Parts: sequence; C-alpha cells; structure tokens
Amino acid sequence: MHKTLVSIAAVLVGVTSFPGIALGAAPFFEGKVIRIIVGLPAGGGYDAYARLIARHMPKHIPGNPTIIVENMTGAGSLISANHLFRVAKPDGLTIGHFIGNLFFNQLMKQQGVEFDAQKFEFIGASAKEEAVFAFSKKSGITSLEKWMASKTPVKMAGQAPGAAPDNAIRIAKTALGLPIQLVSGYKGTSEQRLAVESGEVAGTSYAWASMRATWRKSLESGDVVAVLQAVPKPFADLPKVPLAMSLARTEEARLLIDVGLHKSGEFSRPFALPPGTPQERVQVLVKAFQDTLRDKEFLEEADKARLDIDLVTGEELKKAVAGLFSLEPVVVAKLQEVLFR
Amino acid sequence: MTGMAQALVFGLSQIASVTAFGLMLLGIAIGFLVGILPGLGGPTTLALMLPFVVKMNPVEAFCFLLGMTAVVNTTGDITSILIGVPGEPTAAATVVDGHPMAKKGEAGRALGAVLMSSLVGAIFGALALASAIPVVRPLVLTFGSPEFFMLAVLGITFVASLSGQDFMRGLISGGLGLLLATVGLDPMSGIQRYTFSQTFLWDGIGLVPITLGFFAIPEVVDLAVQRSTIAGGRVEKLGGVMDGVKDTFRHWWMVIRCSAIGAYAAVIPGIGGATTQWLAYAHAVQSSRDRERFGKGAVEGVLGPGAANNSTLGGSLITTIAFGIPASITMAILLGAFLIHGVVPGPDMLIPEPQGHLGLTFSFVWITVISNIITVGLCFLFLKQLIRVTQIRGSLLLPLIIMLIFLGAFAEKNTFEDLVLVLMFGGLGWILQRLNWPRPPLILGLVLGPLAESRLFLSTDNYGAAWLARPGVLAIGVLTLVGGFYPLLQRWQARRRQIGQPSVPNAASTNGAEPSQLNWGILFTLLILAGLVWALWESRRFNFRAGLFPWAIGFPVLGFVITQCLMELTGKVSNAGGDVAVEGSDLSRNVVNRRTAGIFAWIAGYFVAIWLFGFSTGVTLCTFALLKIGADEKWPLSLILTATTWAFTYGFFGRLLHIPFPDGHVSLWLNLPSFF
Repeated sequence: MHKTLVSIAAVLVGVTSFPGIALGAAPFFEGKVIRIIVGLPAGGGYDAYARLIARHMPKHIPGNPTIIVENMTGAGSLISANHLFRVAKPDGLTIGHFIGNLFFNQLMKQQGVEFDAQKFEFIGASAKEEAVFAFSKKSGITSLEKWMASKTPVKMAGQAPGAAPDNAIRIAKTALGLPIQLVSGYKGTSEQRLAVESGEVAGTSYAWASMRATWRKSLESGDVVAVLQAVPKPFADLPKVPLAMSLARTEEARLLIDVGLHKSGEFSRPFALPPGTPQERVQVLVKAFQDTLRDKEFLEEADKARLDIDLVTGEELKKAVAGLFSLEPVVVAKLQEVLFR
Repeated sequence: MTGMAQALVFGLSQIASVTAFGLMLLGIAIGFLVGILPGLGGPTTLALMLPFVVKMNPVEAFCFLLGMTAVVNTTGDITSILIGVPGEPTAAATVVDGHPMAKKGEAGRALGAVLMSSLVGAIFGALALASAIPVVRPLVLTFGSPEFFMLAVLGITFVASLSGQDFMRGLISGGLGLLLATVGLDPMSGIQRYTFSQTFLWDGIGLVPITLGFFAIPEVVDLAVQRSTIAGGRVEKLGGVMDGVKDTFRHWWMVIRCSAIGAYAAVIPGIGGATTQWLAYAHAVQSSRDRERFGKGAVEGVLGPGAANNSTLGGSLITTIAFGIPASITMAILLGAFLIHGVVPGPDMLIPEPQGHLGLTFSFVWITVISNIITVGLCFLFLKQLIRVTQIRGSLLLPLIIMLIFLGAFAEKNTFEDLVLVLMFGGLGWILQRLNWPRPPLILGLVLGPLAESRLFLSTDNYGAAWLARPGVLAIGVLTLVGGFYPLLQRWQARRRQIGQPSVPNAASTNGAEPSQLNWGILFTLLILAGLVWALWESRRFNFRAGLFPWAIGFPVLGFVITQCLMELTGKVSNAGGDVAVEGSDLSRNVVNRRTAGIFAWIAGYFVAIWLFGFSTGVTLCTFALLKIGADEKWPLSLILTATTWAFTYGFFGRLLHIPFPDGHVSLWLNLPSFF
C-alpha cells in the first residue's frame, strides 16, 4: 500500500517535471491573474495595445489565466521599467510594457535608470515604431527634392530630448544633412499635428502606424504629405516615398540610421518580464504572445481599433537589445551627441 | 442652414433608440458613481469601458461614453460640497466655498446651486459646441504658441483677483504655485529641477495630492477638533435647495460668463476641467463686489466652478471633433473610440450625412444635454438623503474621509509617494488656512505653469522675440493689462474712500494682537523667504532653457516676499491668522491644540499603517482603531463600518477594479504572497 503510494507519487513527479511537456506549466497559470503594468496613462497607444492583448492572450496560455492591465505612469514610463526590474516578483505573473527607447538612456548613462535592459526576459513586441516625416502642403515641402532645396532650415515639431520624434528629426538632420530647425516642446503627437496644420511649423515626424490613423484625412486630401520614411523596406502604403537609408552617404550616417531609427523601432514597444523569471514560464508566454498576435479575432479587433500589428518575437527583441549594447563606444558617443546634446 | 437644422434633428433621432438610450442610462449610472467617489477618475473608468464599446455602433458607443463623461463633474461636485474632498480633480474649486456652506448648514442650498449651475454650464457647453462647429477650424488655426502663452498669462492675472483683500499674499501664493509647477524634468532639455533625485517627482507634483492636502486635510482637522457634525448642529433652512436653484438665476450672467470661460478655455489643447474650474472661480471672485465672503461660503464660488467644469466638455469636444486633437485624457479615449468606429475627426465631422458625420456631431450635443438633465433630476430626488451626510457625527465620518483622501491621492497615478505629498501639503494647507494665506492662487499657478512654460519656450524657439509683435499677442496683452489693473484700481478707489474715516480693524487683526500669533505669522513668511532663496540658489545650475521660467517667476516673487516681510515686521499689515479656536465654537485653546495634534497623529498613523500593512489592511486597521479607541464608538457599529471599509478597499478597489495597491512592508519582510 505504502509502496504503491510512493510509486504513484514518483510517477506524478516524473511526469510533471518532465521537460517539454506542457503539463508542468499548465497548472501554474490556471486560476492565476497576470498583470500587465503599462508605464503610460490609460487611453494612450501603449495602453491600447496592452488592453487588446490582455483580452485575447488568456486563451492561448495553458490554464487560461485572467490578464489585467494596470497603469503605473511617470517619467516617460521609466518608473514602471524600474519597478519591473527591481520590485516585481519574477514569477511570470507580472508583465511590463514601457517605452523601449529607455534602453538608450541606460546605454548613455542618463539619470534615473535602475534596470539592466539585457537582463529582462522579453516576451515580444506588438508593433514597431517606424518614423515617417510629413509636411503640410502649404509649407511647400511636398517632396524630398523640395526639402533638400530649401534655403532656410525647415521647422519641424518635436517633443523633448530622447523622445522618438526628436530622435528621428535629429538623426535626419545630422546623418542626412537636411535643412531642419527642430522646434521641441510639444506635448504629444496631437499637439505636433496642430502645430503643422496651423502653420507654426512646416512638418513633423512620428510613427507611421499612428500617423496614418490619426492624420488620415489630411494625408488623403493631400494637405499633409509624407516625404521621407525611416524603415529598411518601404511601407506597403508608401511605395514611392524615399527611404532615409538610401540617402545616407557615409558609413557613419548609415550606422546612425540603422541603430537610431531601424533597430530602435524594433524594441520601442517591448513586453518584458522581470529578470530571473523561470524559463518554462517565459517560454509559455513567448509562445502565447506569438499565437495571440496571429489570432484572427485579435487581428480583426486590432484592425477595427486601427492598431497596427507587427510581431517582433521574444528572440528578435532580445537580439535587437543585445545589438544595442554591443555598439562600439565611438558610435555610442556619436549617438549621445546627436540625441542628447 | 437647412442642412444644419436637418442634421440637428437627425442627431436627436439617432439617440432615440431603445438600445442607445439604455446605454446612455447605463453610462450615466456608472458616471454617477465614478463622480461621487474620489480616487475613481473619469479617464481610468473610460479606459476600462472601452472594450465594451467595440461591439456597439458609433451612436450607441457615444451615448454610453459621453453619458458617463457628462455626469462625473456634476456628481463630483456633490462630494466636494458635502465632505470637503473633491469627488473628481475637476471638482476641487467647488470645495473652497461649497464645503464652508455645508458647514454653515447650507448644504442644501450649495447642492441646489451647484446642480442648477452644472446644468446651465452643460447646456451652454453643448450650445457652444453646436454653434462653434462652422467657425472653429479657422479660429483655432489662427492661434499659435504665442497666443496660447498669452492666454495662460491672462489666466495667471486672475490670481490678483483671487487674493481678495490680501493682494500681496495672493501674488506670492500664485507665484509659488507657478514655481511648484517647475518641479520635475524640465520639458525642454530634460534637466531635473527640484526633484531631490526622486523619480516620482519627474513628472512634477500632481494636482490631486496638493488639492487634497490643501483643502481636505484642514477640513478633517476642523471636524476632529469640533467633535460635532459637518454642519455643526446647524439645521438646514427650509427650502434651502430651491434657494440654491434660485441663486443660479440671481447670478445668471455670472453663471453664463463662467460657462463661457469653461467652454472656450477648453478649446485650447492642454486645458481641461482641472484648470477651467479655477479660472471660473477667479472670475466669480473678481466680478463680486464683496470679496471678503469668498472662502467662507459664498454661493457664487459654487456657481462658477459648477458651471465651468461642465461646460468644459463641450469645449474639449470642439477641438477633438474639428481637429482630432484631444484636449484631455478623456478626449483621447473618446478619440480612440472614434477610430474604433472608423470615424476620423476633422472637417468631415462638420459635413451633413451621408458624405460626413454632422448628424453624429449633433448627437453629441443632444447626449450632453439629455444626460445632464437626467443626472440633475436624479440628484434632486436624492438630495434630502445626501444632505444627511452633513448631520452624521464627525467621529463616524472621519475614518471615511481620511480613507477617501488617501485613496484619491494614490489612485491618480497609482504612486505610493503621492501619499507623502498629501501629508506634506496637508500640513502646509493647514498652516496657510490658520495664517490666512489664500490657497486657490497657488493651485491656479500650479495648473497654468506647465502650459505657460512650454508655450513661452515654443514661442521663443520658433519666432525669437518677433512673437511679441503678433496682433493676437498684442490684443490679449491689452486684455490682460485691463484685467490685471482693474482690481488694483478698484482697491485704490476703495482706499481713497476710507481716508479720513477711523480705520476699521479687519477680522484678522482683532485676533492678532497676541504676541505669539505675531511670531508665527512672521516666522512663516520668513520660512517662505528662505525656501524661495534656496530654490533660486538651486537654479544657478540650470541652463538657459531650463532656467528661463523659474527665474522669470522666482525673482519677482522674491521681491514680493521681501516686501511682505518688511510690511509684517513694521506692522504695516496684519500678519496674524484666524484664531486657533474654531469659528463658532467656544473650545479653549488647550483643547483645540490637543485635538489638532491628535488628529494629525491619526492621519500620520494611517500613512504608517498603509506603509506597513498595505493599503486595504492598513486602512481597515486604522478605521477600527479610530472608531473604537479614538472615538469610543460601540462595538457593533465599529465592526460594521470596519468591515465595510475592508470590502470597499480590498473588494471593490483592489479585486474588482484592480487598483494596484503596493504590498505592505510587513508582507515583504515576511515574504508573504501578494495578497494585501
């Protein structure tokens, strides 16, 4: 009797701890609550992605846990990234979603960073931040040629040093030598758009995924024109707009564009776990994340909400971040000069 | 024009379906609750509701969302008046005069006034939306950063009128507010200003912790010292509610002007109800002949913000609809809902169906009007029950109010450190109240500071000094000078009239004869001076971009503070505050001091308990201790109220709404599972 019990227990232990079998993880997430901590306010773009994923991801996780979204705002999501690294328990039940550009802050030793980007466990990213430069028709900058030919610096609206629009504009100015006067201090893309429409500035730059949704009418009517795109391959809906990379003349320019615009676009919207989260739980979530982003219902809803979905897998994300931290010190110094000077 | 009229009717017909109307009622019900509860804000709730919206058609979605948004400000005002804690950040200005009215036994009148003016404001905002539709685009596009900056300056000059009698103190208080607004990362170069290396200060000091500290904590102290009810045993006059309703019509033009301030200021991106309420309050003070009554229960101080925070919705919608520029978080979420339904804001919103969405736009007007009528109607039905809150004995209310203060402070940003700010600003607010320093100018400075700074910088960055010569800038500049100098002129005339008459001692100086009082007043002014000197000394390491604004504000304020110090030291002005004893009570100073110290200890105790045991457990323990030990209430009542507190914080906020309360340190030390 006693022996039978022991052997049953031994078999059970053997089965559940056998690697590669989902049984080990399934009971773990069952009945659990996973929290996605968004570092930006409710109602914004980061929040919208997180809430959409929170609704669809449970059915792809063995054990169908509940997923809830919480907002921990402050310091451009730095507070939440620090929290994820230092405070959150590495049990697979806390996922962070913050601005990936913060990794630049770590690389360039800016104040306030209390995390090590490479120690996060990455689940994946749901979209890439790929910048497009757009100008109002009345500014006269309706093509790259006209931009390059401008005798006076062209005013472009930005937000603050280190913010994605400023990074893109500064890199375009330095790497491509385009005539630009950055006017920085607008709070968010909506103020940037208003400044363009009122003629206070000629143009601006931010993620195309967001631009094509929020500025659709003006883009369609031709009142606003996309003039340049900072992506490795052209967007399907912008086949004729020139690529920033194709204008780069020097090796340094190519590097600045590759690191500062292309690569950073991949890790700009990461979903991450605290360091030390058990690997089998990380893997379950990585897979569930991919399945979710390919889920038909999910994609339909994302389409309705005009949220662009562009999967970056956990593995790709990890590579992109590792690439950032393996840059030559000279390049880092150059980037720092361009972005934060 | 017939197209417009048709669209107006079409808009109404769209919401006249059972589903749409039902969803609007549901939205109103949710908004009602959200408004009443501090700590449960409109934006968060909207974000939570957004998923349900995906499955509705556009009109239904907006019936639901706008119905909810339209009522939170109205019901938020109710909490502000009854217990002195703003139900919403946009209902804070109502506390200043609304709560003193409740303490005078005029809760009914205050509620009647705020409900009626809310309704007027909401309808005005909706009409402003409807009438602005054809002209808004060209109008807003003529405004650039320089004009926005000038509008902020115009708002700041209102500070002068907010100070009532004590002009200099008002200026100083407003200036300090502007300086407090510079705490955090400077928006232009990312340099840390006055953050003490605390990351939570990077975004600056939140409006909610300051308002709660400044207004709610001193009320808690008063309530605890009095050991009575909020109304202090004064019985509501018969027909108080109707009296309040009539007040709205007595001050009809002021209510309309305040509604206009709310609606048109909100057109500017970055200005929402949190700002417009104070602008309207300032205007109410400014346009009154008898400024002395403000802060002590003047009904105009209730009517103004009540109207403005409701008319703001219409104004914000103008910018959202015409440009797709969300003027506030609430609007950003509504914009998200637009996009979900494939409605792109912009000129199309102003073209009649089927090419555009003008009918939809007009349905917003109808939803705003109808949902407000329903809410105000509902409130009037329950007013008698609501007013009873002011007759519950203080010892039972105290735990509730303290819990709401901490909850409200935490839930704005889900930041524990904001509780520390509430404590600090609570102490400061109490001192300001005791020493007769005006608090509203500081809040107005705080809300307008960021807008003024970023637009000043953008103007200079963009146009150099040339922006000063823009016609819009000059026009608003003239308006500002007139607005700023008019009160000065009035004061000067008033003083001339007084010359030759025996000087009439004002209320403050009658109590201020005691030397101990004298010292406290001067000591505090000197303390402000020291703080200011320190702030300016700190700012020496700022670069030009980060330093421009702090210097432009700091040095003039330094001048004012020095003048104030000199005037107080030479006895030119009274430096004394109100008597320590609570108005209308005959408690001895010893008793008052003891009880004041006691309640501060309790408030601090709440904080320590929350830190040790986590939010719901800490608050629950303190509620019980305060009821049983502090007030010696009976066991059953204490237990029931304690259990309710627990159900409310742990169940409702923790489990149901998933407010991420931090774990208590005890559970971290013992490595307990994340439960509290």
